[in-house]
Amino acid sequence: MIEPVALEDFFITFFSSALIILAGAGYALLFSWSKVNPSIRIKIAAYVSYAVLVLAVAVLTRAAHFQGYWLIISVLMAVGYFFAPIGIWHLCVKTHAGSNLKNNNNNNNNNRG
Amino acid sequence: MNTSGLNEAAQKAAALCEKSRACVNDFKAWVQLDSRNLSDGQQLAVKYFIVAVILFFAQILFGLLAATQFIFPGFLYEILDFSVNRMIHINAMIVWMLYGFIGCVYWFLEEESGTEIVGLKLGNIAFWVLTAAVTLVVLVYLLVQIGPGKDSSLWFINEGREYIEAPRWADIGIVVVMLIFFYNVVATFSKGKWSGIAGVLTLDLVALAGLYTAGMFYMTNITHEQYWWWWVIHLWVEATWEVLVGVIMAWSLMKLLGVRRKIVQTWLYIEVALMFGSGILGLGHHYFWIGTPEYWLTIGGFFSALEPIPLVAMVVHAVYDSGSHALKSGNHPALAWIIAQAFGNFFGAGVWGFMHTLPQINLYTHGTQWSASHGHLAFFGAYATINIAFFYLAIQHWRGDVWMGGGSQNAWRWKWALGLLNGGVLGMTIALLIAGYEQSFIERAVEGSTWGGYFTAQNHPSFQSAMIWRLFFGGMTFAGFILLVWDLLTIGKGETRKAPEIIES
Amino acid sequence: MNETPLWASESFWKKTAIWVTAGSFLILVVLTMDSLSKTSAGSKRVPAYSVINKKIDYQYDKELHKFMPVIGETELLFGKEYSEEEARQLVDLGKKTTQAKNCMNCHTLLGNGAYYAPDLTKAWLDKGWISKEMREDMMVKFLMDPENNARTYGSNRKMPNLKITEQEAKGVIAFLKWMSSIDTNGFPYNFKTINAEE
Repeated sequence: MIEPVALEDFFITFFSSALIILAGAGYALLFSWSKVNPSIRIKIAAYVSYAVLVLAVAVLTRAAHFQGYWLIISVLMAVGYFFAPIGIWHLCVKTHAGSNLKNNNNNNNNNRG
Repeated sequence: MNTSGLNEAAQKAAALCEKSRACVNDFKAWVQLDSRNLSDGQQLAVKYFIVAVILFFAQILFGLLAATQFIFPGFLYEILDFSVNRMIHINAMIVWMLYGFIGCVYWFLEEESGTEIVGLKLGNIAFWVLTAAVTLVVLVYLLVQIGPGKDSSLWFINEGREYIEAPRWADIGIVVVMLIFFYNVVATFSKGKWSGIAGVLTLDLVALAGLYTAGMFYMTNITHEQYWWWWVIHLWVEATWEVLVGVIMAWSLMKLLGVRRKIVQTWLYIEVALMFGSGILGLGHHYFWIGTPEYWLTIGGFFSALEPIPLVAMVVHAVYDSGSHALKSGNHPALAWIIAQAFGNFFGAGVWGFMHTLPQINLYTHGTQWSASHGHLAFFGAYATINIAFFYLAIQHWRGDVWMGGGSQNAWRWKWALGLLNGGVLGMTIALLIAGYEQSFIERAVEGSTWGGYFTAQNHPSFQSAMIWRLFFGGMTFAGFILLVWDLLTIGKGETRKAPEIIES
Repeated sequence: MNETPLWASESFWKKTAIWVTAGSFLILVVLTMDSLSKTSAGSKRVPAYSVINKKIDYQYDKELHKFMPVIGETELLFGKEYSEEEARQLVDLGKKTTQAKNCMNCHTLLGNGAYYAPDLTKAWLDKGWISKEMREDMMVKFLMDPENNARTYGSNRKMPNLKITEQEAKGVIAFLKWMSSIDTNGFPYNFKTINAEE
C-alpha cells in the first residue's frame, strides 16, 4: 500500500513538501502579479517558481516512494497547481466585472467602482 | 459571640464589595469607554470579547506552566500536573475562540439583518449561564482533577478526551447555549432580512452544534471512540470554524474596505465550496493509524494534497485586489492583524500541515511534537489573529469611530504587541519543529517507538534545548499579550479625529 | 464584455457550494458506516475483547508490507480465562479509568493525545516490562504507585499518583493488552516487542 520514507530521506521529504506549497503560492503570486503589472521578468519568475514546484513534486515522489495510485497525486499536484491560479484569476476578473472600468490590468478603485 | 462574628464577617464582605466597586469605577473612568456608542447586540458582543480575552490569558498562563514542566519535571508535581495544565491550556483556547466567534456574530447581527436582536434578554442569560458553567468546569479541573473509573467521573469531573474534556453535564449545557445562540441568529434574520452571509452562517451553525453532539458518547471500543472524536475536532477546526471565519471576514471586508456585497458573497460561496470540498473528506488524514481501514490512507493523502487550494485562491485574490483599496483603512491594527491571519493561515495550516501529513512520513511524525508545532502556528495563525483583528474593530467603534490609522498616538504599542505575539508563536513553532524532527527521527525511526526510545529522544540535548527555547518564546508571547491588553484598553483614548466612513461601492 | 458569465455568478457558486458540501458529507456518511462495521469489536481489524486471553505480538509482515498484530495461543491475563462478557467488562473498566484519570493529556493513545509521556498503543508489548513473567505484576504496581515504581529512564519525569485501585489497574492492563491487538496499519513502525529476541 504505502512504502514509508527511508530514514535518510526524512529531511528531503519535509523540505520538498514545504517547497511544494511555497513554490505553488509563489507561482500563484507571481502569475497574478504579472497580470496586474505585465512584465516579461515577472512572467519568467512565475514560470521559474512553477519549475521549482515540479522539481519538488518529483523529489517528493521519489523520497516518499510514490507508486501506483500515489503517482496520480503527484500528477494532480503538478497539473492542479499550474491551472488553479489561472482559473482563479479568471474567476476574480469575472466576479468583479462591473465594478471596474476594464477587466484586465486594473488598478481601479473598487470603492468608487 | 456567634452573631457578632457573623456581623463582622458581613461588614467585611460589604467593605470588600464597596472596595471592588470603587476599583471597577476607577477602572471605568480610566478606560473612558462610552457604551452609548454600541448597539444592544454590540454590548452583548463585547461581553463575549472580554471573557475571550480572559480565557486567552488562561491559555497562555497554563501553557507556560506546562512548558516549564518539560524542563523541570518536579515543578508543581502532584499539585498541578502536566495533564491538568495542558488540559486547561487547550480547553481555554477552544473556548476563547468560540467566545470570540459568538461575539463577532452578535456584533454584526443587527446591522446585517437590519433589525434588533429578537432574544436579547435570552442571549444575555445564555452568556451568563455559559460563563458560570465555564468557570465551574475550570474550578473542577483545578481542584478535583480526576475521579474513579466510573461513569460519574465522566459526567461531573472530566471526560478525558483531548480538546473536549468538558464533563457531560457541561456538554449538554454547551449545546443548550448554542441552540439559544442559533435561535437568536435565525429569528433575527427572519424578522429582518436574509442575505447570503446569513444563509451560510445559519447552515454553518447547524453543523457546528450538530457535530458537537457526535462527541458526547462514551465507547469502550477506542477505535470507534477516536473515530467520532475526530468528527468533532477535525470538522470543527478544519471545516466549520474556517467557514465561520469566512463569514466574519466577508462582513469585515464590506465594512472595512467597502467591497461590494455581491462580490463578497460570491467569494464566500466559492470559499465554502473549496473548504468543505477539501476539508470534509480531509478528515481522512486522522484515520491513518487508529484501526480504521486502509482506504483512509488514500483518501487522506488525496485531500491533503487538495487542502492548500483555498490558500492559493487567497493569494491570487489578494494580488488582484491589491492597489484597488489596500491600506486606506482607518484602522491600521485591525488591518495588520488580518494580514497576519493571511500569513499565519498559509504557513500554519498550509506549509506546516502538508509537511507531515502524507502517510509515508506521518507514520513517523504522528503523535510527536510535530503536531504541537503545527497546532501552535495553525490555531494562532488562522483563529487567534482574526479574533484580535475584530477586537480592534470593536474597540474602535466603542470609542466612537475614532481614527486608528497612520499617525496615531502610541502606535508603538499595537506594533510591538503584534510583533511580540507573532514572533513568540513563530519561535515556539520553530522550537517544537526541531523537537518534533528529532523525536520522529530518534524515537520513531531508529528506536521503533518503544518507551526506551521515547525517553532517549526526550533526553537528547537538541530536544532539551528546544524545550528551553519554547519556554523563552512562550514568555515572549505572554509579553505580547500583556501589551495587547494594555493597547486595547487605551488605543484611541483622547483621539479626536474620526475614521472615514466606508461606503459600499 | 462586462456581464458576468454563469460560471462566475453568485447563484452558480451558491449551488456549487451546496452540492459540494452535501456530496462530500454523503460520501463521509457512507464511509463512516463502512468503517464502523469494519472496526467493531470482534472484527478482523479490532479483535473481540476476549483476545486478552491470548498471546499478542507485533511483527513485520513481508507480504502485507507493514507491521501487524499477531494473535497466538492462549496466554491468560492474571491467570484467569475471561468469558467474552467478563473481558468486555474488564476492558470497559480500564477504558473508563484511562478517561477519568485523564491519561490522554500526558500520553498518546493510538498516537493521539499529549506528548509528555510515551505512547500507549503497544505499551503492553513494551520491552520496558523486562520479561513476560514480570510484566503483569510490574504494571499493576506501577499504575497503583507510580512514584515508588517510577520508570523515568533518566528523564526525571514521573507519573503522578492517580489513586488507581487494584481492580482499575487490572482493567487498564486488560485495556492496554486489547488495544495492542488492533491493526493500526503498521503504526508504530519498527517496534520491537518484549517477545523479540535480542
